[in-house]
Amino acid sequence: MLFEEMKQQDQLIIGDKHFHSRLFTGTGKFNDQQTMVAALKASKSELVTMALKRVDMQHKDDDILAPLIKNGMNLLPNTSGARNAKEAVFAAELAREALQTNWVKLEIHPDPKYLLPDPIETLKAAEALANKGFIVLPYVHADPVLCKHLETAGCAAVMPLGAPIGSNKGIKTAEFLEIIIEQANVPVIVDAGLGSPSHAALAMEMGADAVLVNTAIAVAGNPIAMSQAFANAVQAGRQAYLAGLGGQSTEAVASSPLTAFLEASL
Amino acid sequence: MKIQVNEQALILPNSMNLEQLLVHLEKPLIGSAVAVNMQVISRSEWTQYNINEGDNISLFQAIAGG
Repeated sequence: MLFEEMKQQDQLIIGDKHFHSRLFTGTGKFNDQQTMVAALKASKSELVTMALKRVDMQHKDDDILAPLIKNGMNLLPNTSGARNAKEAVFAAELAREALQTNWVKLEIHPDPKYLLPDPIETLKAAEALANKGFIVLPYVHADPVLCKHLETAGCAAVMPLGAPIGSNKGIKTAEFLEIIIEQANVPVIVDAGLGSPSHAALAMEMGADAVLVNTAIAVAGNPIAMSQAFANAVQAGRQAYLAGLGGQSTEAVASSPLTAFLEASL
Repeated sequence: MKIQVNEQALILPNSMNLEQLLVHLEKPLIGSAVAVNMQVISRSEWTQYNINEGDNISLFQAIAGG
């Protein structure tokens, strides 16, 4: 098959949805709604995350939803704020009603300092939500054993972290992500910690099926330009993965023929 | 009728269902979710659920997040 054909046929499928873009984005931390919508459009992302909160009875909230729906984006509500499986299931059921989708990014991180996901509660909630018919995408540490358990529990994908949420530190879990990617029978979406386009490209070169980026775009000097940079990096990384990267070697391997023509001419 | 909405006491002028409550509170219907006494009420049942005295109602709203 020609490479161009291969590229065109290269689609990501999660649950019942086909994605052309392998860059998923978050809607948090943008300075204003207009910039957020413009950045998400520029990213060409087809799946964007949202959160849920208790309505503030004193204040009117911005209508964040209308512009996202108008631009045809699929919404992925998260369970952020849930501290255990019970709360996460409750949050997912609320989110299903609020956003009319059975997709959920399952995240349970009881510790506010590092926001690291609780593996035990996440697995419990994943089993319960999958049984209730949710399309579950769990945010987890880069733990290959846990990822297999989540796959068995019926998760539609796994979302292992590169580094703590919002840290912009990049892929600190590379060795374990490689194992997860090698073993997975569901899509692997590297989530959290990707701080620059090169981090996203690296994840894609490693064979990740997609990445999720929020903070690095939202807090960039120019979020719209940064979202395009991430989109380009994700495409480049994916193309490199499909093209097949050359192997590494400790010793030099000459790129030019080492003929002795200089000596011969003396 | 006295009820609780997001931990605040509220007196309703007349009996109403959940959808009417959201309209009464000037909250958007789109992007909202409702639980009564910690049970999530499906959107399709909002007009059928008539609020009872003492109900503890929780309102939630979709917001930006990662």
